[in-house]
Amino acid sequence: MAVASIAKNSQKQEGVGQSLRRALSDEPAVGPLITLLVILGVSWLFIPNFASMRTVTGIINAATVTGVVTIGITMLMIAGEFDLSVGAMLAAGSYLFAFNTINGASPVFAVVLALVIPGLLGTINGLMRVWTGIPSFVVTLGTRYIFRAAVWILAGGALIQTQAELPIYSIFNGRLDILNNLFARANFRTSLLWLLALVVLFEIVLMETRFGNGVFATGGNAGAANAQGVNIKLIRVLAFTLVGVLAGFGGMLDFSLFNSVRVATGDGIELSAIAAAVIGGARLQGGSGSIWGALVGVLLVSTLRTGAVLLGLPADNFEAVVGVCIIGAVVLNKWLRQQR
Amino acid sequence: MDTSNLTSTSSMPLVKMENIAKNFGVVTVLTGVDFHVNPGEIVALLGDNGAGKSTLIKILTGVYTPTSGQIYFEGRPVQVNTPHDAHDLGIETVYQDLALVDLMSISRNFFLGREPMRRVGPINLLDRNKMDLQTRNSLHEIGIEIRSAREKVGKLSGGERQSIAIGRAVHFGAKLLILDEPTSALSVGETRKVLDYTRNAKARGLGVIFITHNVSHIFEVADRYVVIRHGKKAADYAQGQLTQNDIADLITGAREA
Repeated sequence: MAVASIAKNSQKQEGVGQSLRRALSDEPAVGPLITLLVILGVSWLFIPNFASMRTVTGIINAATVTGVVTIGITMLMIAGEFDLSVGAMLAAGSYLFAFNTINGASPVFAVVLALVIPGLLGTINGLMRVWTGIPSFVVTLGTRYIFRAAVWILAGGALIQTQAELPIYSIFNGRLDILNNLFARANFRTSLLWLLALVVLFEIVLMETRFGNGVFATGGNAGAANAQGVNIKLIRVLAFTLVGVLAGFGGMLDFSLFNSVRVATGDGIELSAIAAAVIGGARLQGGSGSIWGALVGVLLVSTLRTGAVLLGLPADNFEAVVGVCIIGAVVLNKWLRQQR
Repeated sequence: MDTSNLTSTSSMPLVKMENIAKNFGVVTVLTGVDFHVNPGEIVALLGDNGAGKSTLIKILTGVYTPTSGQIYFEGRPVQVNTPHDAHDLGIETVYQDLALVDLMSISRNFFLGREPMRRVGPINLLDRNKMDLQTRNSLHEIGIEIRSAREKVGKLSGGERQSIAIGRAVHFGAKLLILDEPTSALSVGETRKVLDYTRNAKARGLGVIFITHNVSHIFEVADRYVVIRHGKKAADYAQGQLTQNDIADLITGAREA
């Protein structure tokens, strides 16, 4: 029998252009990254007052809390699921962190509780998703209200704020003076380091672990994953749990920055995170996306927001810019995926 | 005429299903079906839609449990209660739609659920170089050449995808390979390739069940043709005993065995 060959020219090495185009279609973050760089460049040149470290660090600082949440949402979307309840889980984490740190509990205890409780709320989302078979969009639309009510009860409806400058707040969201001393008017904060660390961690989890492979497979073709022995229910529950943990982390960053939390904290972040994930190349139907893309996505939205403010656009018009950006990103990503 | 032993060698069948019956409530789907596959044998399992051939295979792969009857694997009586049981015995099924994840690379698909790991400090990470290399090598061994193990499966043709799924089953030590309508959506050229890989699996001593309702796809390759009609085994002939038209008539019932 002749050796049948899949590729007619299998012996031939790929050309540079070919491998570049393949990288474009294989790495979902590349397209959005190019878009971000173009927008940054244009803004730097043409928007008054944009070209300063103050503006650039402002863009970054406004993106960190949403960024941490978007890491989780991106991973979840790759697994083929949504979570609309992240805002309430973020508020829960923020309250737990605030309450315990202000009342003098050990910082470790405060941090662990602020991660574990939202994580358990995420587990509840995941279990309801796999046990009932109801789409997660509906499940978390329900828990979005339930968790928010739970936060209200936990907080007694009250705002918590503090003037205290505890070291734990500086660890999560303090000034990063090592960098600030290098650039005039820069305001780098430690939250950036946390965001970058989580991006790297979750990029490794997704790309280099068996769990990550299962996440892509579950979102890409759950039936095929199941047929190969991947425990798709476990993958889904774990993904929802990690989203909760990351939302709790976002809540701690948020409180460390503003030193206040109210019942409505984090309201609307679920849509910002989905928007950033989509702009960053995550596929709505699941199976594709990247954590680097999530980072690029939140930075892109934050850049546009800052640009709009500096241009003196009315705040109402900003939302339209995000809308155009989402649709543009999806069109671009679809086109990139079709390249080979 | 009992022809079921004509192609059997003295060695024991790889799998033998004896007097299988399956009822769904009051509806009888299968009655008294005997079916076997020898090592290194390609058996075409033929039948019209609804004849009961997929029910028979789902019993073999643990999706359904039979109402009565016994399954033997390598001579031992076995209970196949879940797809996992089937997997453990060495029964691999390549489904038309449930074979591969299109958005993932060839090597990630190849090792899905069985990824080789490497230790980095205290943690285990995927050994992606090993995944790429082993994928390329083991596909090469059965005659499949790929451009890059990191290419997305979605960019391959239907026949290439089927081939990779077959290659994966062979690599992971399947003893019985079940191909569920693998060629129904393929062009003539692609069908030929898939049949080549099927022959290749046979040459390595695997038993192969090739489910189809299109005789022409499998006519030259199969060692034996088993026809299921109305829940019963309507025919069991070795290659060379029948023409394509004979088999087509047996499937539709225009001819009795």
